[in-house]
Amino acid sequence: MDMVNITMNGQKVSAPPGSTILQAAEQAGIDIPTLCDHPVLISIGACRICVVEVKGQRTLITACTFPITEGMEVQTESPQVVKARKFIIDMLFSERNHYCPFCEASGNCELQNLGYRYGLDHWVYPTYTKAFPIDSSHKYLVMEHNRCVLCGRCERACSDLVGNHTLGLRNRGNSSMIHCDASLPWGDSSCISCGTCSQVCPTGAIFDRRSSFMGRDEQTEVVKSICSGCSVGCGTEIVTRAGNVLRIQGDWDAEVSGGLLCQYGRFDPLYEGRERVTKPLLRRAGKLEQAGWDEALRAIADRVGGARANELGVLTSSNCTNEALSLLDMLFRRKLKAPNLGLLNDTAPEQIEPKGWLADIAKSDVILVVGADPVKDQPVSSFFVKRAVDKGARLIVAGGKDNGLAPFASMNVEMADVNKAIEIAGRAAQPIVLYGAGVTEEAAGVLKKLQGKAAFVPLEPGVNTRAAVAFGFTNGFKPSAVKVLYALVGEQDCGITDVLKGVDKNVFLAVQASFKSPVTERADVVLPMAIWSERTGTLTNTEGRVQKANKAVDPAGEAKPDWEVLSLLAEKLGKRLGSSLDEISVNASRQLK
Amino acid sequence: MAKVKIATDWLAGCAGCHMSFLDIDERIVKLLEAVEITSSPVTDLKHPPKEGVTVGILEGAICNTHNIDVAKMMRERCQILIALGDCAAFGNVPAMRNLVGTDAALKRAYLDAESVVDGLIPDSPELGKPLDRVTGIGDVVKVDLFIPGCPPSADSIFFALSELLAGRVPVTFPPQYFKYD
Repeated sequence: MDMVNITMNGQKVSAPPGSTILQAAEQAGIDIPTLCDHPVLISIGACRICVVEVKGQRTLITACTFPITEGMEVQTESPQVVKARKFIIDMLFSERNHYCPFCEASGNCELQNLGYRYGLDHWVYPTYTKAFPIDSSHKYLVMEHNRCVLCGRCERACSDLVGNHTLGLRNRGNSSMIHCDASLPWGDSSCISCGTCSQVCPTGAIFDRRSSFMGRDEQTEVVKSICSGCSVGCGTEIVTRAGNVLRIQGDWDAEVSGGLLCQYGRFDPLYEGRERVTKPLLRRAGKLEQAGWDEALRAIADRVGGARANELGVLTSSNCTNEALSLLDMLFRRKLKAPNLGLLNDTAPEQIEPKGWLADIAKSDVILVVGADPVKDQPVSSFFVKRAVDKGARLIVAGGKDNGLAPFASMNVEMADVNKAIEIAGRAAQPIVLYGAGVTEEAAGVLKKLQGKAAFVPLEPGVNTRAAVAFGFTNGFKPSAVKVLYALVGEQDCGITDVLKGVDKNVFLAVQASFKSPVTERADVVLPMAIWSERTGTLTNTEGRVQKANKAVDPAGEAKPDWEVLSLLAEKLGKRLGSSLDEISVNASRQLK
Repeated sequence: MAKVKIATDWLAGCAGCHMSFLDIDERIVKLLEAVEITSSPVTDLKHPPKEGVTVGILEGAICNTHNIDVAKMMRERCQILIALGDCAAFGNVPAMRNLVGTDAALKRAYLDAESVVDGLIPDSPELGKPLDRVTGIGDVVKVDLFIPGCPPSADSIFFALSELLAGRVPVTFPPQYFKYD
């Protein structure tokens, strides 16, 4: 590709055509300060902090929006530029409450950093003291309008990234403020609590209730991981301090999600109300009591080892790692020859070829959502759909008027009428089909008419369902013959009937679980399992992409990662299936292929 | 060589900046070889001497007429005036009342607060009269050096005084000494 050559502060800089001055500077390692600009958002040049001097230009221009041209001569820190930036910073600080000592963002604030960089040591202009309200009606976030600099990042994130359009700007001049749905309290608005706005806010105007004032960036540690809230597999950053998880952020570098998260990924895991299982439990004389790992595992091994193959049953949640699923498969199906293995959630019909990616949604002109409700079940993928609809793609939803995407669709059809939708998709240039567990067998057959035309992405219910299916765990569990049942419930919120429906009431029930529930109360043995923040392992997302989730904190009590529990059980049964994570991971990925 | 005379005083502040000044610890002994602290809230002499001092240091914001008088007296009697801390530089915590207004703040504090019995807004003639708007001291007198911070660290105070003693004016703070909190 031809590069455009410019000089910046006398230094020769080359960047691809279409780059802005800011992008060219970043490539060359030249630091131009910004405030309203954010790498994942569309640049609007609103705050003017990034102004630079360009030879031949009448005035200073904004580096974030101005494209480079051959031979351009740019000065990024000339006296004129510095004077202009100082003026802008003085103006920004002259409105609202920008006193740092009692602000949540102090230490991580982009406005504060600008003050430091340009030596702001007193107010040049009289401070303007109009008070704005604080909106604390939201369950997870607080909007402190007095800290707002009206950069519009939150609004752009809400509209351009999430496609939700809850946040906007209202009023004019110095009365301007961010609002929700034309002035509703945030908590009553159409906000879906994805929290993206809080992650892009440069000041302390939008902050997280739970983690505010609990640690600045320099006092916290960050572990990159993968969300296990659904099957999309968004990249997360788990922020911890002294062994406690403070908050979860989206990982801007994540391949699938590009930094987005939803309420399931960002907030729900931190507001978990269920009580943890922290020690192995063993039923002695009818009473469930605390026990050591060894005796608990021994009790299970005795019953599993003593049962005939067809009396053995295994039920697993899809919310566990590839490694755990692989071990379950190897131990029970291959070694113990148990024929009866099931999954605790539904599955989408098998992959229709050609396989597509969630990223293809953005390139599609017709999006067909069949038998899936991504708004409810895979929210981040629904953001991709809404974004594409905003840009002009046509959305057709098949199956259910209550579908969360129905209001955004240009056409809603019943599952039986999926043919109509397929006709339209067939005429499109680049259609994509997102299909879920609600697709009937008949509809799945009809969808195949689009083969060769459309890309197909399944939207699996559950979490690691794609891998579970690959390992042969489906919802075809036959409970009647089962005398010994091993249930890997993990973090899933299961009722007693989910696990024991149709099962002999005298069944020996071994449960591997993270939280106390009616299922653990009924169990004969309970093995405590680590949760999302406490284990390392791989997860397969709904596209079939294998991603690594990393441990950020130590497991609670004596809980162990899902795969380690199974590895120990296998050992007790005299089957060596690998003891280190690496060994088990390699086996799992070999099997998955 | 005669010692450099320093006077300090506080306005609408919390004394934290003076605490931070004392936190320069044993370095104060070295400092006292070169300077004489004539008056300050922590010495016997409370007002800067009439014959003047070289360096005047003020902590706290301007929130009443008394603060203005003190700031002006210090300005008249010193050659170099330092605004010490965020309150003196910006207004900071005392300026929070600007967001509600002085009358509302006084009413809330002296009449409506949950712990108040037979409340009364103080109005003794000996007290300064509250201003409508709280400001940094730069709004009423000319300031030569601002040391932001809440409080400024002992190191940044010591750094500023050392630079002044060495005759390096204006003082430029390296990043670690330039903080707003």
